[in-house]
Amino acid sequence: MTLKTEMSSDSPVMSFATTLTRRGFVKMGGALFVSVSIPGGFRAETAERQASTETNQLNPTLLASWLEIRSDNTILMRTGRTETGTGMSGYYTQAIAEELSVRPETISLVMGDTDRTPDGGYSAGFLSGMTNVRKVAAYTYQALLGLAATQLGMPVENLSVVDGVISGGGKSIRYGQLVEGQHLDLKIPVTGELLKAAPGKWVGVEGLDGLTVTGDPPMRPLNQCKVMGTSFPVPGIPDKVTGKTQWSCDVTLPGMLHARMIRPATLGSTLISVGTMDKKQFPAAEIVKKGNLLAVVSPNEWEAISASRAVAAGTKWTDWAGLPGSENVTKTLRAYKWNAPSESRGKPADVTSALANAAKKISVSYEQPYVRHAPIGPFVAVADVRSDGSATVWTHSAQSQGLRARIAYMLGTTPEQVVVRWLDHSGQYGRTTFGGDGAESDAVILSQLTQKPVRVQWTLEEDMKWSSVSPAWVSDIQAGLDPSGHLTALHSVFYSPHMFDPRPIGALLAGMPCSASEPGGWVATEWVYDKIQNRLEDAYGMPNLGAETASGGLRGNIMRTPGQRQQNFALEGLINEAAAAANADPVQFRLDHTTDERLINILKATAQAAGWERRSSPGPQARKTGRTPVNGRGVCAMRRENAYWVGIAEITVVPDTGVIHVSRFTIGGEPGKIINPRQFGLCMKSGVAMGLSEALKEEVTFDKSKVTSTNWDRYKILTMEEMPEIKIVTLSRDDKQFGGGSEGANAVCPPAVTAAFFDATGIQAHRIPLTPSYVTTLLKS
Amino acid sequence: MPSELTLTVNGAKQVVSAAPETPLIFVLRNELKLSGPRLGCGMAQCGSCSVLLDGEEIRTCITPVSYAVGKQVTTIEGLRAVWAIEKKLSAAEAAKTLHPVQQAWIDEQVPQCGYCQSGMMIAAVELLARNPNPTIAQIKDTFTNKPPSPHLCRCGTYAAIIDAVQRAARAMKA
Repeated sequence: MTLKTEMSSDSPVMSFATTLTRRGFVKMGGALFVSVSIPGGFRAETAERQASTETNQLNPTLLASWLEIRSDNTILMRTGRTETGTGMSGYYTQAIAEELSVRPETISLVMGDTDRTPDGGYSAGFLSGMTNVRKVAAYTYQALLGLAATQLGMPVENLSVVDGVISGGGKSIRYGQLVEGQHLDLKIPVTGELLKAAPGKWVGVEGLDGLTVTGDPPMRPLNQCKVMGTSFPVPGIPDKVTGKTQWSCDVTLPGMLHARMIRPATLGSTLISVGTMDKKQFPAAEIVKKGNLLAVVSPNEWEAISASRAVAAGTKWTDWAGLPGSENVTKTLRAYKWNAPSESRGKPADVTSALANAAKKISVSYEQPYVRHAPIGPFVAVADVRSDGSATVWTHSAQSQGLRARIAYMLGTTPEQVVVRWLDHSGQYGRTTFGGDGAESDAVILSQLTQKPVRVQWTLEEDMKWSSVSPAWVSDIQAGLDPSGHLTALHSVFYSPHMFDPRPIGALLAGMPCSASEPGGWVATEWVYDKIQNRLEDAYGMPNLGAETASGGLRGNIMRTPGQRQQNFALEGLINEAAAAANADPVQFRLDHTTDERLINILKATAQAAGWERRSSPGPQARKTGRTPVNGRGVCAMRRENAYWVGIAEITVVPDTGVIHVSRFTIGGEPGKIINPRQFGLCMKSGVAMGLSEALKEEVTFDKSKVTSTNWDRYKILTMEEMPEIKIVTLSRDDKQFGGGSEGANAVCPPAVTAAFFDATGIQAHRIPLTPSYVTTLLKS
Repeated sequence: MPSELTLTVNGAKQVVSAAPETPLIFVLRNELKLSGPRLGCGMAQCGSCSVLLDGEEIRTCITPVSYAVGKQVTTIEGLRAVWAIEKKLSAAEAAKTLHPVQQAWIDEQVPQCGYCQSGMMIAAVELLARNPNPTIAQIKDTFTNKPPSPHLCRCGTYAAIIDAVQRAARAMKA
């Protein structure tokens, strides 16, 4: 059910019992009341029971749907967001501990289960998700103080709280004692709605952010934090290390069948005939088919695998050859008849005139092929669809409510009939943020057809061929400089197949309803060079390549630091080229084009840590031939979600072999207040690994009919040996709230590496990845 | 056709019914309910399914279960016991002591999504048995160039893994 739950300040107090005296009121934020009513503990079980029978959804206005304080003083918090691997569960815990004045170790989280968490939302939306739980904790804290004031006979102002123990006037009481045998009836003001299918609109769903807790409860000032700002360990790590974690691939149900999918021969093939299966050889296996969706199921996983291979070998598909081939992608994008930009930001007339009056003009184009999320663990899901129409799905999707809405849409039922349970698994890096992609639709369809629980495990080849991709793009940038070498105008245009198609392949192949998106693009950069007064940024989108096929072709999707990763590569590349044109040091050139104190601080700190020497690029050592390594260094900057980033790459290039080695990478980050310094550092380092991988190695290849980069030998990612020494520089400040620290680091690598390549060779690279073959071609040209 | 096979897994004898060519990973996961080895590539290209077989790292996604008969299989679930036996820890000590590699993985907060980390820890245990004091270059070399393939981590935790291997090395010598 989609909930509209806006609370007004005069909402009635909810009370479950009339026989008990209401012992305390606390009113805050205009929308909060506390009463102490029925015995039975301060627990959410009532709400859960209600959820399971009626809507499969908690009532988000009830405190008990969010938070439970147990008599032993431990706390359970429920959030619709999930752990993405970057430490979210730790940060949520820290935020809750901070506002409740308890030790973080006493808190446990329920994450991402649609019937056991109240607010929905996507997991990368950490800042909004954290604000929700932080506010709930803050409301609760005030309520607890009110209760304690009554209990201890002291005014609230005279109370202090340490580790969940409230003291005043020589007396003290633990939270657990305070609420034991009582029901804390606290209404949580929320706005927004849970995700629902919205065919044809944007990504095909609405309500990505889920519900938002409103009001302004008193919260701990950031400069007085005791838990946020410390390196609290991420809660799930010990279980992941000892083998206790139950992953989504570990779910087993009574009577469950294992499935392996048999996918079409090409992106556009349709099924002609199904291969035969020898029942003597595979006695328990069954072929299951719906439209172009084909699978083999068996209670035994190895039998499902072996039988599916045998059936696949004899299955016939139609031919199709509607892709341009990956080597022709740029040409294809150039030839496309683009309509008006999906988004345009800036002042066209000012830019046109400033460019016309520029003393020097730069006009360059950048491009990148298709890349992909490429997790180590391919998609997996378990589904149990019952004859009463209800469906339960076990998944590691990063958008549980979104998946719930999409599954309901596919089945032609209501979200109340669908429950999504979340578990840990391999990283998603954005591909499930819109609630789609993945093996869930396969599992649901197969469970519906077999009337048994079904577990669908994709193979790596299948994942590399059939999961969504981060589309190729081209970008044209024009810039004008004045006689003193300052940038006066900049016009960037970004062209790409869209990144909004997470439709699950199973539903598409089975011909079941899918909530389609509206292809488009958006301007993703956040502008930091405020001294460049005339700027214009345009973004164009187009449908998927192969969009006309039943499979939807190469389904474009967002990937870590989406849009900005690509557009910032072009923008920062241009800034570096402009610095070279102005014969200026690239760090100083950036400083000269901004008044943003936060950028200036992190830029200076990072340059200092890297031992940056002031000079222009290319370096005096630069050369484009030779069998010995030549050094180069390069810099870039970025602002994203209230966080500032700087990357400085130091590389060696062997011109004759084209091999680039990144010897050292210095990365600076200032995300407002740093919640968890150690984890921030780890995310920066791992982001560098992912970003260098993209800069040096990654490319999805395809021929005219199918993806051909289908394993780790063909889709290469960074290995440990290729890791540089990484230096991290962090600045934390208490006056700028929180910024996004978990992603972003990957995006500063490609522009820094290409700048370092120019510094080393004097040759501008306008494309990544900088593979040896591309580099040698570039240097010979 | 399934046959009865006797395996020794994490020190315990287990009789399983499986076709002899079944890759070991499916027997460990589905019959013995061990979630440590995880299916990645299925073709020995990533390392997420690694276990120790008589102390040597193998990829269970391509190793037939019959190959493991008569040998000692160790998954991350069994590392604690390996260390307890090696150090002759009392039952009480063993109960509260992780293998130093596991402890280092916690202390360095290595796992992000964590999917590949079971194989990473197996590779670390094997490396440290062979080379108790590896340099950064040797760690990188092992995790990248030792056949059959590099150990891949998409979250990019390589730097933390290097730190954790060195931390474990120090702990194991202490």
